[in-house]
Amino acid sequence: MKLSLSRDAHRQAHLRYRLFQQISHFITVYFDPRSADLLPIKSNFRVQLFEDPAIDKEVEIRKKVLKIYNKRELDFSTLKEYNDYLEQVEDIVFNLTNNVDVERTKQIMEQYQRDNKDVIQRNKAKLTREQEELEELLLQEQQNSEQRRLETLQEEQRQLQAKRKNKQALLDELESSKLPAAVLLAQHKDRAAQLETQIEKQKQNVKPANIFSTGIMMPLFIDTYGPPVPELDQLGRLGYLNHVRTASPQDHAGGYTSGLACHRALQDAFSGLFPS
Amino acid sequence: MYHNSSQKKYWTYDKEEDLDKLRLEANRKFCSKGLSSGKPGINESMFLNQQEEKVLFRHYEKRLLDFCTMFKPVMPKSVVGTACMYFRRFYLNNSLMEYHPRTIMLTCAYLSCKVDEFNVSSTQFVGNLQESQAGQERALEQILEYELLLIQQLNFHLVVHNPYRPLEGFLIDLKTRYPLLENPEMLRKSAEDFLNRAAMTDAGLLFSPSQIALTAVLNSAARAGLKMEAYLTECMGLKEDKETLSKMYESMRRMTGLIKAYELPKAEEVNTCKQKLERIHAEFATNLKRKHGYEDDDHVVKRQMVAEEEWTDEDLDAL
Repeated sequence: MKLSLSRDAHRQAHLRYRLFQQISHFITVYFDPRSADLLPIKSNFRVQLFEDPAIDKEVEIRKKVLKIYNKRELDFSTLKEYNDYLEQVEDIVFNLTNNVDVERTKQIMEQYQRDNKDVIQRNKAKLTREQEELEELLLQEQQNSEQRRLETLQEEQRQLQAKRKNKQALLDELESSKLPAAVLLAQHKDRAAQLETQIEKQKQNVKPANIFSTGIMMPLFIDTYGPPVPELDQLGRLGYLNHVRTASPQDHAGGYTSGLACHRALQDAFSGLFPS
Repeated sequence: MYHNSSQKKYWTYDKEEDLDKLRLEANRKFCSKGLSSGKPGINESMFLNQQEEKVLFRHYEKRLLDFCTMFKPVMPKSVVGTACMYFRRFYLNNSLMEYHPRTIMLTCAYLSCKVDEFNVSSTQFVGNLQESQAGQERALEQILEYELLLIQQLNFHLVVHNPYRPLEGFLIDLKTRYPLLENPEMLRKSAEDFLNRAAMTDAGLLFSPSQIALTAVLNSAARAGLKMEAYLTECMGLKEDKETLSKMYESMRRMTGLIKAYELPKAEEVNTCKQKLERIHAEFATNLKRKHGYEDDDHVVKRQMVAEEEWTDEDLDAL
């Protein structure tokens, strides 16, 4: 936009100024004498994450404030003190977001930073340590699953090779041996069946390795207000399953077992039985 | 499961008196609202008192059960149980004079089919009413209007635990762990009958479904002259716990008492109460569409204030 004396240019410049005034909430501008124009200070640009730019601004301010005000609940002796501290933080964020008392708020922040330098340092260190531990666990999980994948691949390869060898052996024998073909075929079938059972056994020995990197550490206890229900896997042994309709092959294919219905009926029968 | 359900937390009460208090409160609320409405010719005597509401409630509850029994396709027991429970819970906090039980009972059945995943289309549902095509459509409209109200008055607690599965559980348990009883299957018929009768009392609002099922089993065994105390002491491990045992016997006594005390209301009583009800509804009919700001707010509802119900009880009589 060039400075000129025309009325239109004046009006345009004025409109641009008004526009920048409105959005100065988010963009700070300065007058660039070289291009005779209002230019934004680019260091203030961020990638907009949220639909409402006001929220983005608040999120940014909050991140900065929380870097300084990083105390945790266990740093306080009473809940009230912790809540007061949190309220303090919120006030600061609010002031900065809505341009209220910005100078005074900044001074308060600097004062706090000076007073609590060591606490801030300590908490920062703790945070990074926790994050590292989490990352380690995640990495390990990843590695484990990757390893398992490779192992299953290798196993499959081995099985394929074994089958191929078997077939080749049969062909060789048919060629060279003096025994009748029927006998050789029967022998071959036998060997193949043995191999299959071996493979099945190996599959069942796969160890279920599950490291929970997050989750509940201690067993949950839920009061059912009634007598204890036997575990799902004990039902067959205890004889309950003799009195339930057996699951048809179609049911089994769908994942249904008679134990499920039996367990559910028992749970329902015992839940809430004893008057409280 | 029942032990951490909303039914246990919010819809199980300690004493029958608590229930009666709630119903009385609902009745009073409507009466005072009606009296203060400023309409001419309203007096205290034209309202239903608590006893009359009870009579009508039992009548319509029986209607609901009949509707569900005649329903095509066959309605599973849990759906019927849920519908009855909804009906009962709704009129715990609302008066029959405010919302007509005829529509509410159909809405309960409709909602229960949805909640219990008993897939019936709306046209199929109203096809079970003995009505003309137009009558069925009108009924459907009313059901859909009242549906949200029903859900709201149930406080959005839609899962109901019925005693039918616990009964199955007890029969399985008896067959497995209680050899003293030779053939538990023979208890089934009369236990189920007990459960059906229990559904028509307040038992569902006072006791847990497992307690109701256990009472059914013990009751039916007692009728057959069989002794079953050992089941509770040995199998349930209550030999040492005399306190719980006696509390359980007490609950079972109360429950059997409730069921024995039930009686179907007499036809003349029902008719007099019904006439009163119709008059009240004609006088105070609430146009739900306008009240709840349904759909298009600028749609002018041209219905008469005296909402003449176009289908009457007689249509249901044919059921």
